[in-house]
Amino acid sequence: MPSGEAATHINESSQASSVRYESATKVYEGSDKPAVDKLSLEVPAGEICVLVGPSGCGKTTAMRMVNRTVEMSSGDILIGEESVRSRDAARLRREIGYVIQQIGLFPHRTIADNIGAVPQLLGWKKEKIRARSAELLELIGLDPELGGRYPAQLSGGQQQRVGVARALAADPLVMLMDEPFGAIDPINRERLQNEFLRLQAQVRKTVLFVTHDIDEAIKMGDRIAVMREGGRVEQYATPAELLMDPANEFVEDFVGADRALKRLALMRVADIDLWEAPWATAGQPTSEVRAKLDAPDVEVPYPLLVDAERRPLGWLSERDLAHDTVPDRPDSPLGPVLDRDDVMRDALSDMLQGGAQYAAVTDHRGSVVGVLSVEILSEFLSSPAAKVEEHGAAERPHD
Amino acid sequence: MTAIPIASVEGAIEFILTPQYSNVTGRKKVGGIDQVIELMLNQLWLTVFALAVALAIALPIGLYLGHRHKWESFALSLGTAGRGIPELILIAFFAAAIGVGFTNVMLALAILGIPPILANAFVGIHQVDRGSVEAARGMGMSEFEILRKVEIPLAIPTLMGGLRSAAIAVVATATIAPYGGYETLGDFIINENVYGENGVLAGAILVALLAVALELTLAGVQRLLTSPGLKLRPA
Amino acid sequence: MIDPTLFAAVGEVGEDFFKERSTDTLPCQATNALFCWDWAKDNIDRYGPFFIQHVELVVISVLIGFVVAMGLALLSRRWHWLRVPFLLGTGVLYTIPSVAFFFLLLPLTGRGRDTAIIALSVYTLQIIYRNTILGLDNVPSSAKDAARGMGMTDRQILRRVELPLALPEIVSGVIIATVSTVAIATLAALARGGGLGEVIVGTERGLGIDFKTNLIIAGGLTIGLAIVFGLLLMGLQRLLTPWRRARPA
Repeated sequence: MPSGEAATHINESSQASSVRYESATKVYEGSDKPAVDKLSLEVPAGEICVLVGPSGCGKTTAMRMVNRTVEMSSGDILIGEESVRSRDAARLRREIGYVIQQIGLFPHRTIADNIGAVPQLLGWKKEKIRARSAELLELIGLDPELGGRYPAQLSGGQQQRVGVARALAADPLVMLMDEPFGAIDPINRERLQNEFLRLQAQVRKTVLFVTHDIDEAIKMGDRIAVMREGGRVEQYATPAELLMDPANEFVEDFVGADRALKRLALMRVADIDLWEAPWATAGQPTSEVRAKLDAPDVEVPYPLLVDAERRPLGWLSERDLAHDTVPDRPDSPLGPVLDRDDVMRDALSDMLQGGAQYAAVTDHRGSVVGVLSVEILSEFLSSPAAKVEEHGAAERPHD
Repeated sequence: MTAIPIASVEGAIEFILTPQYSNVTGRKKVGGIDQVIELMLNQLWLTVFALAVALAIALPIGLYLGHRHKWESFALSLGTAGRGIPELILIAFFAAAIGVGFTNVMLALAILGIPPILANAFVGIHQVDRGSVEAARGMGMSEFEILRKVEIPLAIPTLMGGLRSAAIAVVATATIAPYGGYETLGDFIINENVYGENGVLAGAILVALLAVALELTLAGVQRLLTSPGLKLRPA
Repeated sequence: MIDPTLFAAVGEVGEDFFKERSTDTLPCQATNALFCWDWAKDNIDRYGPFFIQHVELVVISVLIGFVVAMGLALLSRRWHWLRVPFLLGTGVLYTIPSVAFFFLLLPLTGRGRDTAIIALSVYTLQIIYRNTILGLDNVPSSAKDAARGMGMTDRQILRRVELPLALPEIVSGVIIATVSTVAIATLAALARGGGLGEVIVGTERGLGIDFKTNLIIAGGLTIGLAIVFGLLLMGLQRLLTPWRRARPA
């Protein structure tokens, strides 16, 4: 599958607007409780806002009020500075990308025609539509030859990608995505999520993303709105804030008992302050190494054997240090070696599996830059003041 | 002799109820409730027997093919092709080639009834949820038991649909049974000079009523036979 | 050979029902052969006008039935409550045998081609309406939802999404309606509506109900017509639905 290296000419003029809910309310006939009760929320332009919550909380209704596939009972929603009511609904929707769970590709039209559906409604010239379809196919990582096929000939994952391409075709101001990856198997779902984040890094759309899966919310959202019945927002915050400081019991329960681990998925090894281990090279007099070990501020009590390029070879034990010079073969094996770009959660997992208390961390050349220990991590997690640089969703670790 | 009256509903009803004088037969009266009932019953028996024969032939074949999922295009095209059989010519041909009378007409009608019954039996069984069939097989049911206990009950709506289609076609064609030498309500329609315009209209009304009554009866039977589970709407 | 007196016993029939045979058919009939080639070759052109009438009856009835059925379908798409009455109404009309229907119209339109066309149109109407409704129902709701969400107006959704996707089912309905009408139109002759039925029960001299060669020719023409229409329409169906031929990945 081709990587996200897409045509560079696609996003020069990619547009995005902010979305603001102002006491938006929806009451269905025959119901005494509103499905969405005075929702007020602002989504800055170019960000992914995830609406997450249990089934029936009104998140989908809230999303659909933006393109008026559900009409508000009262209140307003502004895109940029314009109310969504100011225009005829059909015309409004042509400027909003709409991706639904069941995808809804037109079985009777080719993939290229499907992608070009909104441009066609907008009256673009045929040539322009064709070019745009081809562009988008490349952007979503599909063989341009697929443009002439029919939806039935594509796999579920491919169809879902076409659905996203179709939503992007007319360069919309806002994208609405309703559990778009819900119907896909977990392996492909992860791939699609990553693909979309890569895409977002380029096109930077304002996205309203609905899901019931808190892990997906944390992965995809620049901002997350945790909702409960009536579309009430219990907390609207960045993923890190949500994990560190859940506003109340509902949010805490919804986020899950493993929120500490979830936080680890948001960072890389390089994001944390690593410890230093005294390092030694083969042939070095052991007295020098002992001196380093005895230094007052030493953090790791074991020396690390490294080569000329400071690549780690193993840990030195007491027995090793009993000789005059450092041997070129270490007593203890190296154990897990981590890359500074590794996702922290995976790093922890490797360490635990390797049964290591300390793990050497290397850079892309393989040279040691520090040592990670479980202690560092637990200190970090338990410290309320621990600040980690917050990455936007598109920059967060994902493969 | 009085002039032939123009057909009217009142005239038709009168024709049905009381015997009338006819242009042609002079002294002898035609029409009246007795003759009506006689011809109606004739048409009914013809229909019932023909359908019975058609069922006996078409149902087993359709059920078997559907269960084995074989010869799909044959079964399906038979359904459409069967509707293209020209009824009048069929009756006439049977009469000319084989002879006249109840049996021959009944066989011709049975031929008309076979395609819809077979096609629907095939489709009904063929489209039964494979999961249910697999489960039954896994439970240790014999193929015949599967057909009897699982496939047929689930296919009842479609099967009955086939029977109803066949019934409509057969009762309609039974109307022109007089061309094959067997007297039915069609007699009133075909022989205008005997029964008069009112007779013709009366015949048409009676045939229509008979057909609708038959259809309603079969619809009722279908409801009775359809398991309550199939009639439920999703919660 | 049928004994005319048998019919006299069944019911008084007019003398003109069994007309005098013209001399040229007599030799063929006398032999009681299944099919006389020579006679067929000499007389085939007599069937021409009836064949054309038959085609006209079928084409006109199917067209009228199609137009009305479409109209009803669009109305019941808009106003859902119309569906049940329409289905019931057309269903009842469909149950009434065409041969009776021809004559139920007697007080209104008398006999003749118009009567036949009206009756046949009502018949095709039910089939096409039912299939159209089925076709529209089977359009995936996700496609309609996506269409609405992307900004299509109701009319655009109907034209660009629903109708094309319902087309296979609609054409199926037209095929069944056409094939059935070809068969039933043979009875139009009873109501003096013309068509190939005329050569069997009609007033064409020398051709009659017990003349086997005649029956075979008429039957062959009718069935042949049905096959031709059927194949043409099936071809049309394939042509209009290229996406169904695409094999899944």
